[in-house]
Amino acid sequence: MSPGTVRATATLAPDPTSETGAVPVLAVCAGEEVYGFPLSSVREILVPPPIALVPRAPDAVLGVISVRGQIITLLDLPKMLHLELEQVNPYGRVLLIDNGDELIGVAVDSVIQVYRMEPNHIEYASAMSAELSDYVVGIGRIPARDQDAEPEMLILIDPVSLLGG
Amino acid sequence: MSDPRDNVQQEFLAEAQELVEALSRDLLLLDEAYHRDERVEPALINEIFRSVHTLKGIAGMFGYRHVGTVAHALEDLLDDLRLGRAAVGQELLDVLFDSVERFQRLLALDDPQSPGEDASVHEYIAAIRSVGMEPQAEIGDPLDKYNIEAEVLAVLTEYEEHRLRACIREGLLLYRLRAAFDLAAIDDSIESLRDDAQSDAEIITYLPSMEGGNEDTIELVVLLASGVSHEELRTKFESRYGTIEPIEERTHLPTLPPQATSIPAAPPSMRAHTEDESAQASLRSVADSVRVDIRKLDHLMNVVGELALVRSAVNRVVDGLQGDSIYRQSMMDLDRIGRSFERQLSELRTGILDVRMVPLGQVFNKLARIVRQSARDNDKQVRLVVTGADTEVDKLIVEELTDPLMHLVRNAIDHGIEPSSDRELAHKRSEGTLALNAYHKGSNVVIEVEDDGGGMNAHKLRETALARGLLGAEASQELSRQDMLNLVFLPGLSTSKEVTDMSGRGVGMDVVKTNILRMGGMISIASEEEIGTKITITLPITLAIIRTLIVTIASRTFALPITAVREAIPYVPSEVRSIQGREVITVRGETLAICDLARVFGLRGPSEREGSFVVVGSMGNRELGFVVDDLHGQEDVIIKSLGKSLSSVRGFAGATDIGDQKVALVLDAPALFAEYFDGPEIVPTLETRP
Repeated sequence: MSPGTVRATATLAPDPTSETGAVPVLAVCAGEEVYGFPLSSVREILVPPPIALVPRAPDAVLGVISVRGQIITLLDLPKMLHLELEQVNPYGRVLLIDNGDELIGVAVDSVIQVYRMEPNHIEYASAMSAELSDYVVGIGRIPARDQDAEPEMLILIDPVSLLGG
Repeated sequence: MSDPRDNVQQEFLAEAQELVEALSRDLLLLDEAYHRDERVEPALINEIFRSVHTLKGIAGMFGYRHVGTVAHALEDLLDDLRLGRAAVGQELLDVLFDSVERFQRLLALDDPQSPGEDASVHEYIAAIRSVGMEPQAEIGDPLDKYNIEAEVLAVLTEYEEHRLRACIREGLLLYRLRAAFDLAAIDDSIESLRDDAQSDAEIITYLPSMEGGNEDTIELVVLLASGVSHEELRTKFESRYGTIEPIEERTHLPTLPPQATSIPAAPPSMRAHTEDESAQASLRSVADSVRVDIRKLDHLMNVVGELALVRSAVNRVVDGLQGDSIYRQSMMDLDRIGRSFERQLSELRTGILDVRMVPLGQVFNKLARIVRQSARDNDKQVRLVVTGADTEVDKLIVEELTDPLMHLVRNAIDHGIEPSSDRELAHKRSEGTLALNAYHKGSNVVIEVEDDGGGMNAHKLRETALARGLLGAEASQELSRQDMLNLVFLPGLSTSKEVTDMSGRGVGMDVVKTNILRMGGMISIASEEEIGTKITITLPITLAIIRTLIVTIASRTFALPITAVREAIPYVPSEVRSIQGREVITVRGETLAICDLARVFGLRGPSEREGSFVVVGSMGNRELGFVVDDLHGQEDVIIKSLGKSLSSVRGFAGATDIGDQKVALVLDAPALFAEYFDGPEIVPTLETRP
């Protein structure tokens, strides 16, 4: 278990009103994949402001934006996970994520909805042998409403490791 | 402040400014006491008198003729007030308040002798004289009521005699306290007596007693006026000072044996009764702080930056020695010393930032005057409640904050707080309350402007925005109540039914918002109809403003700190030669190395044109030309750090807002120089803030 995962599980705070320890997760769509952020880490959802490119910054950094006077680093989610996807559409939304250290902007295509993720529907990265990126806590399965359909999968992101450290 | 006046002059101006601020503060207290029908503290009037007196003195020394003349006339008026020859009244207060603005204007004059001001100064002096003329009806001499020894009365100063009369008129009782004081500690003892007496009694005078005392002690007879009973005063004073007895009315005083008890106690000086001495005392009391020109602090900050450069230069030398085993021990030592140096440097930087901090009270005092003026102009009753005036923020922020806060306060009084009659109908206190609160929250400072007025009508805001075409009909349907309130920050929206003189021209809140955002702050609004409105401003505690040259590189905007820029010249690509693999041009016969920023930053696409200007930068004895596409003039920008996530990216000192939510990166000239001349591996990165 990598240290990142330990910290991340701490941020996956269960909804106190839930008896089963369900975790509210914001599902977003970026580059054909569905990702989930612990709702507790999402500060704000914005319409993308103008982006200032930062030369020499890591690949996944789209640039910086100004949110009410604060300069915020904007990340491209698929690139963070080294998924080489060509961004075809302009970003639809920017999430402001609190990684515990600073606010980080994450550009996404669209915001889907908030799911209450039951603990037994989360498969932690540490339990999988696959070489998943450090930014990933695990994979969440959202049971489809239709019994026969495939459950939807989402990649649960660890906000703490987003450029932290 | 832009003209180069000499230091002494600056010192004078700073001190005069402080005196005027003190005057303004005290006048507000006086005004408050008057409007609450409270007894006006004689000490307060003395304090005001002293400020004006000192101002007169120093204005004379520095040739500020007009300031001196006005202060002189005011001093006469205040003296009359002090001695009861004039009474505090609305008209008199107005004249006194007027002086604050006048002093400030006169102090700002380039020519302190300017004859252009003669007329207005004379007019004002006439006004001062006319309010001072109100005679006060004297109804018999109240001193006749009491049997006070003639020898006591004979030595009272005019002021003491006035206070004595005034106290008797107020119905206070007179007491005589006999106490022995240790000669060695007499100043402290009397001061502590003053402190103790303050809440219950006024000390009229103290005289050495004819009786008692020995080599080490002196017995004083203290004449007190108090509204408190004899019993209470006894419990309070007798154990600590000595016997206290009432002075009886119109009867013979029994001669009591002196009971000397010597109890040496705490704090300062036998108050000098001549104005000159007391003025000096007040000057001494501020001697433990110094005033510093903010530019000197900016300079120090730059020196800290230079030191960081020196440090990295040393690092380079050390790196050059690496691998040579004979230096091993020395290398370790150097490394340790280097780290200690960095720690101290960072402490130095923090220290300088700390010195720049001033209390928000400076702005709040100005606002208090505006509250008073606005309330009077609008014929409303407003009570101002201030908390957190001692909250400290960067001097620059305090200055930038004045205008936005002024606007918010005026708005609150013009449009927020209702006239008394309306308030009574709504079962509110007839007097409206305006609260200014300040407090620290993390590395931010929060300032709230809150009124208990009529609040804002969110739906009316939406209607107005719709009517003015600031909002589409469709969009307007989806607005939450908070969204509607936020419409007030839109340019061109005014909600007041009538446009008043001071605010509500519809240019208010958007400008306030822009100013706050420019400082890296936030502004939010909460309002309930019939209950009131609260505007909350959150600001960083400190900010760094630097002057920059705005340039474009490959159609992107960057800011280059002006301190590193010597000049800008047109760039002619055909004139570029190559020497030892480096591109150079010739400027006035001298060779200048050039650095194409678009290429260095990897911004230039193959088809894009080359830059058209060379910005010649200089750092120490090195010069380097930066090739840029276009120049957009100079601008003062607030530099913000790029955040931890980008701290490893070199060549940028930070970023700044350039309006319209757009961001420009601020180039780190020292780093770019070092990178060009010394190679990219050992680029020093200058921290822009601690």
